Amino acid sequence: MNDVFANERFRSAFDPLVFLVALGVAWEASVHLFDIKPYLFPALSDVFRVMWEHRWQMIIEGGYTLLEVLVGFAFAVVGGVVIALLIFFFPTARRTLYPMITTMQSIPKVALAPVMVVWFGYGLSAKFVMAFLFAVFPIIIATLGGLHGTPSNLVEHFQSLRASRWETIWRLRVPSALPSFMDGCKIAIPLAMIGAVVGEFIGSQNGLGYVILVSSSTAQTDLMFAALITIAVLSMVLFAIMELIGRIAWWRAV
Amino acid sequence: MTMTNEPTSPQSPANAQGMLAVAIDGVSKTYPGPDGGTLALSGIDLHIRSREFVSVIGPSGCGKSTLLRILGGLLSYDGDVKVNGVPVDGPSPDISIVFQKSNLLPWLTTEANLRLGAEIRRKPVTPASIAEMVDLLGLKGFEKNYPHQLSGGMQQRVSLGQALVLRPSILLLDEPFGALDALTRDRLNIELLRIWEEERQTVFLVTHSITEAVLLSDRVIVMSARPGRIVDDVRIDLPRPRSVKETRADPLFSTYVNQLSELMGVV
Repeated sequence: MNDVFANERFRSAFDPLVFLVALGVAWEASVHLFDIKPYLFPALSDVFRVMWEHRWQMIIEGGYTLLEVLVGFAFAVVGGVVIALLIFFFPTARRTLYPMITTMQSIPKVALAPVMVVWFGYGLSAKFVMAFLFAVFPIIIATLGGLHGTPSNLVEHFQSLRASRWETIWRLRVPSALPSFMDGCKIAIPLAMIGAVVGEFIGSQNGLGYVILVSSSTAQTDLMFAALITIAVLSMVLFAIMELIGRIAWWRAV
Repeated sequence: MTMTNEPTSPQSPANAQGMLAVAIDGVSKTYPGPDGGTLALSGIDLHIRSREFVSVIGPSGCGKSTLLRILGGLLSYDGDVKVNGVPVDGPSPDISIVFQKSNLLPWLTTEANLRLGAEIRRKPVTPASIAEMVDLLGLKGFEKNYPHQLSGGMQQRVSLGQALVLRPSILLLDEPFGALDALTRDRLNIELLRIWEEERQTVFLVTHSITEAVLLSDRVIVMSARPGRIVDDVRIDLPRPRSVKETRADPLFSTYVNQLSELMGVV
């Protein structure tokens, strides 16, 4: 029995890795085989070489992007939860704030980036705002869903226990909403990354988005891919961390 | 017939005092809706003496759970309802409720769930009293388990335990074992009997099992289909302490079961 489980776990780590390596090999091979121009599609080996040569740039610019993502995400978590609580508990907020936020969501946030540059300048704060704008909506919706999803029999049970409003929130609704909130965070963190990179596209001297923009204008396609891969890896790591943190709310599936 | 053991008759001490735990007079309940809403209960009069074990049976939708929720202060109503002499306008501190669906919080262990009710009601609860409840309900070894690690029967034991930790004078049970298999249900009924023989709370049990009602109760209230009305009030004069085996073997037991089945229109 144990062998079966061990094997299952091994396969779930091993299979995606093999698939990824196979894709990489296919990439490398096809570039050489079909003699694709490096400025169109650089060989994977070249991308890795450039990545290594620019390792300090990758780390520093990646650090900028990471900072933008984390700060924007942190604001999105705090802001999203506060907004969700307001909408849930105050009918006035439900009638005013909620429709306004859903309307805002229908505006392409990419189109807001230039406005943010006008308002917040070319520095980090405009990127914080962009990461926040991308990340906040799923957190609001997921938290609201969690608050609404509190089993009605437990709400009634708390009522029969004569629990105060505050106790019902703190001991029942918040823990009930936690698994759903964590799901929202998992959706939000890659979106915060997108927001930060979009912000860097519009106006910046730093960050991986800026690296992509510059390398594109100088036809350094390999550097562009290096930055893209760095963004993807960073995003995946952040997601994995969210996934791990999300396990504190294990009662989702029970 | 075994009607001779007067001293163990549960009514005698309470009868002597004549204390009313529950007084329901002329109560009706209309759920709002189109065409003036739905009349769920109509003209309910029911008095329950302190320490009495009363069961309510009736077809689905007869309003027996509605009546329980009114008693529990969870629903508005028309008429007069008093619990221990106090008009009901919200959940009473003298009452604990156990519902059919488990009351447990999935993120709390057995121990923490047992403590929950007492903590919310600000009743002092010692580790010793929790340990005692664990013993009483046969939950030993499961103190640190979470609800999903317990069987359905175990979960209902914890729900019952959480209610009992509050030391309520009145216990409202809304088909607490209704979702369990027959065997587990029997076992929990035995435990409920044993606990009740010791503590003698006033119990108001909603059930759809006639045998369960006869086995446990001093009185069985029979309700009609919607709008719910009380159609009969049957006193169960079986000797106490009762046991599943002996009580069921009592010829009077089947007489009561048959009588109630007829009233319910089952036979």
